[in-house]
Amino acid sequence: MGMAITSAQNKAAVDAAVAAVMDRFGGTGIEATSVEHSTGKHASFLRIISPPRQWLGLAKFLRFDLGVNHCSMVTGTHFPDGAEERGWEVAYHFMRMPVKNQASGACVEHDAATLTGLEIPLEVEIFIPLAKGDSPVVDSIQSIWVGADWNEKETWDLVGIEFKGHKDMMRVLNPHDSPLGFHPLQKQHKLRYHDYNEMYDDAQGFERKPTDSGLVK
Amino acid sequence: MGPQHPMTHGLWTLRVKVDGETVVDTEPELGYIHRGVEKICESRDFTQIVPYCDRLCYASAMTWAHSYCYAVEDLLEVDVPERAEYVRLIAVEMQRIASHLMWLGAYTPDVGNLTVFVWCLRDREMFLDLMQELGGSRMHYNFPRPGGIKRDIPPGFANRARAKIALFLERMKEYEMLLDESTIFLVRTQGVGYAKAEEMVNAGVTGPNVRAAGVNYDVRWAHPYSVYDEVDWTSSVEKPSSVKGADCYDRYRVRMTEMEESCRMIIDALDKIPGGSDTTYQSGDEKIIAKVPSRAPEGATGHHHFEDSRGESMFYLQGGGEGRGKYPYRVSIRSPMFITIPFVAETMIGYKIADIPAIMGSFDPCIGETDR
Repeated sequence: MGMAITSAQNKAAVDAAVAAVMDRFGGTGIEATSVEHSTGKHASFLRIISPPRQWLGLAKFLRFDLGVNHCSMVTGTHFPDGAEERGWEVAYHFMRMPVKNQASGACVEHDAATLTGLEIPLEVEIFIPLAKGDSPVVDSIQSIWVGADWNEKETWDLVGIEFKGHKDMMRVLNPHDSPLGFHPLQKQHKLRYHDYNEMYDDAQGFERKPTDSGLVK
Repeated sequence: MGPQHPMTHGLWTLRVKVDGETVVDTEPELGYIHRGVEKICESRDFTQIVPYCDRLCYASAMTWAHSYCYAVEDLLEVDVPERAEYVRLIAVEMQRIASHLMWLGAYTPDVGNLTVFVWCLRDREMFLDLMQELGGSRMHYNFPRPGGIKRDIPPGFANRARAKIALFLERMKEYEMLLDESTIFLVRTQGVGYAKAEEMVNAGVTGPNVRAAGVNYDVRWAHPYSVYDEVDWTSSVEKPSSVKGADCYDRYRVRMTEMEESCRMIIDALDKIPGGSDTTYQSGDEKIIAKVPSRAPEGATGHHHFEDSRGESMFYLQGGGEGRGKYPYRVSIRSPMFITIPFVAETMIGYKIADIPAIMGSFDPCIGETDR
């Protein structure tokens, strides 16, 4: 039989994390809740909604007090039709992994059922709503998790969210000479194909004309 | 080095600053095959997205499609039938073996052993044939569906799978003889490319690369999904050969044991599958696919961490897109290799130019998923 973290361990770890975050940040606008996945084993994870000004403090607390050592992904979303205080949103996904450096020729084989306290793997989801406007800014966490570095580059490149304090920001997926302010995942950019209308509105091509039709030859 | 260079295993450039033969600084340059999959998915419905996920990585199509399906099931609040979970596990683990074989086949020519390349592709073909029976095509299967699987395992599949795995396990011994006793392979891989476990996790590197450094961390038991807790397996782990961390040889070893574990898992899943491995249900039967809503409301989110062949992959989806929620509002893809490549580029500093292919290849880069 394969081993697995039990739901009791999972619940205990998430509840402890919720209590720790609320104990430290209660009353600052940070809300921590325990949320269940709606499929599979229905495992719980920690979800935090934080105002941008609290973000750096919260990040340090997660990293150094809760042992959240892995930054999985940074996602930016553009809500042009959203509320005034949520025109943009940054979603972070973190994980806590029981990983320690090993000596030469040594290894640790965790037995999932015996893990306790800060060793239990934890999944963290953080939402940071940003106010409407042309220049959404949030603090960079590049110095806390090295893995956030390229994630933030990608988020700026594709979505256009600026990360204050990020060193060496650059285009990573778009061409390096893309015009300033061009971020394709913003919602004003619509997905169009070449000759989109012809392809989809006139699949059989009865209405199509040569490109030089109407010109004097 | 790049974009056309045998070391890159895809299209990207590694800018290298050298002092004589020694690497003093590196900078990766990505994005050559950025296709904008995340944007395209915003105007596709939830089933139409599956083939796009297949094409994220041609060496590991099945795992990517499943990674997406688990996330979309979280978004749409669907529970998958148990038989479908077993078939999914079999499909994913076969893909893991095929992907590791592709890696081994691509890596050994980099370090001077061309024979293994041909052998690996020969054996990979056995698993591609099996997956072709499931999905219908050789590499991009379009096999899982939100809520279950497209079709059940065909008659005779279980016997063919058992026979091929028995043959493959015999051939694994040949690989080990060919590589573990080859001086060229050992000289090129041992003692280069050291990486420590904690540094890797902090830098976002996951999967076999971390397990090579002496910790058996695996999403499959840490955040259990599917039926990995019901079949027989252990998370493979390798003892790092130095206090400086795992070298290229350790990363090769951990993938070899992982293939053996996957074989064990498939055999055991075929024995335990509810309904029996000889039964074939019709497509659309409630035993293999659940009813799935076609729309996701605004404000709903779904995400799922998944153990891909190369590390932890993940999809994050937001509901409430165009067509009253028929399309997702935002699809975000975590590719394990996108984060790993900058880390590997830094790892190379201090080694010789000739070590670059050995170090880069040992982390199993795949550019299709990196650039998305």
